[in-house]
Amino acid sequence: MVPTTSYLVLSAVLFGLGLIGAMTRRTAVLIFLSVELMLNAANIALVAFARAWGDLTAQTAVFIVMTLAAAEVAIGLAIIVSIFRKRETTNVDDLATLKG
Amino acid sequence: MIAFLILGALAVAGAIVTITAKNAVHAALGLVFTLLNVAGIFATLSASFLAATQVIVYAGAIMVLFLFVIMLLNATQPITSHDPVPYVREVAWLGGSVLIGALMIIALNYKDALPLKDGIAGLRGTVSQYTTLPELAHRAPGSAAAVGEVLLTKFVFPFEAVSILLLVAIVGAVTLVSRPANQTQGETAQTLEVDPEPAALPERGTGQSVVVREEVRV
Repeated sequence: MVPTTSYLVLSAVLFGLGLIGAMTRRTAVLIFLSVELMLNAANIALVAFARAWGDLTAQTAVFIVMTLAAAEVAIGLAIIVSIFRKRETTNVDDLATLKG
Repeated sequence: MIAFLILGALAVAGAIVTITAKNAVHAALGLVFTLLNVAGIFATLSASFLAATQVIVYAGAIMVLFLFVIMLLNATQPITSHDPVPYVREVAWLGGSVLIGALMIIALNYKDALPLKDGIAGLRGTVSQYTTLPELAHRAPGSAAAVGEVLLTKFVFPFEAVSILLLVAIVGAVTLVSRPANQTQGETAQTLEVDPEPAALPERGTGQSVVVREEVRV
């Protein structure tokens, strides 16, 4: 049986890679992809802890996180599409002002 | 153990593709690959319900939405403009590596509170007014029955709150993407002239307005 530590190491690696992606990417959509990667890393840690403690609460939390991710993606991509219509770009360096 | 190693290595490989690919579609497909491997990892953690949900919701619904928007926005070309912040790439890799190292130290110091066998047994759920002990013995750990029972008894309020959140998200997404009603005609024509690529969404809007106009005529 794989110990919880291995899962936590995998989760740490995926979270770090997601963070690197979110910092280096310039397009809003790709930053979103990296954030999804970080959410998944957190989910792995939660499910690993659920098994370690024998408690279904963490699995329920993961289920809710997945739902939140779906809602977040729907809203976020809608915002990106409407920004693209107005500005013809989704490069975050060009979107540094709040003025519409 | 072998399954975990293979799935974990493939998940990390997909993640590296996601954050380094020059083409946005390749990055999205790399993330799909990672998500499917994470689903497999959930299965090795005896969370079968979450593994299925991961495939259906993440790899199915969310990634289709992502690919749709990437293709709609034509964001597949790499961005070649100069970085406004100096050394942002190097700093990001350094900071990310430091974070991975720090989290790994925490992970390696973690010790399980109880034997994993007991932990997996706990994932069958607990005896309640809805479930008896013999029923629990037949239930698979982390199955839909186990997670569903906890979700609809102990966490019924968060569950309902999330359903309201999803409703708000649907309304918000539709409001953000749709154009103001009073300027549909001129604005649609104008944007179509400037930018013919994102045709899917304007088409839907004009289609609806065509239907409305026909109804008015009838």
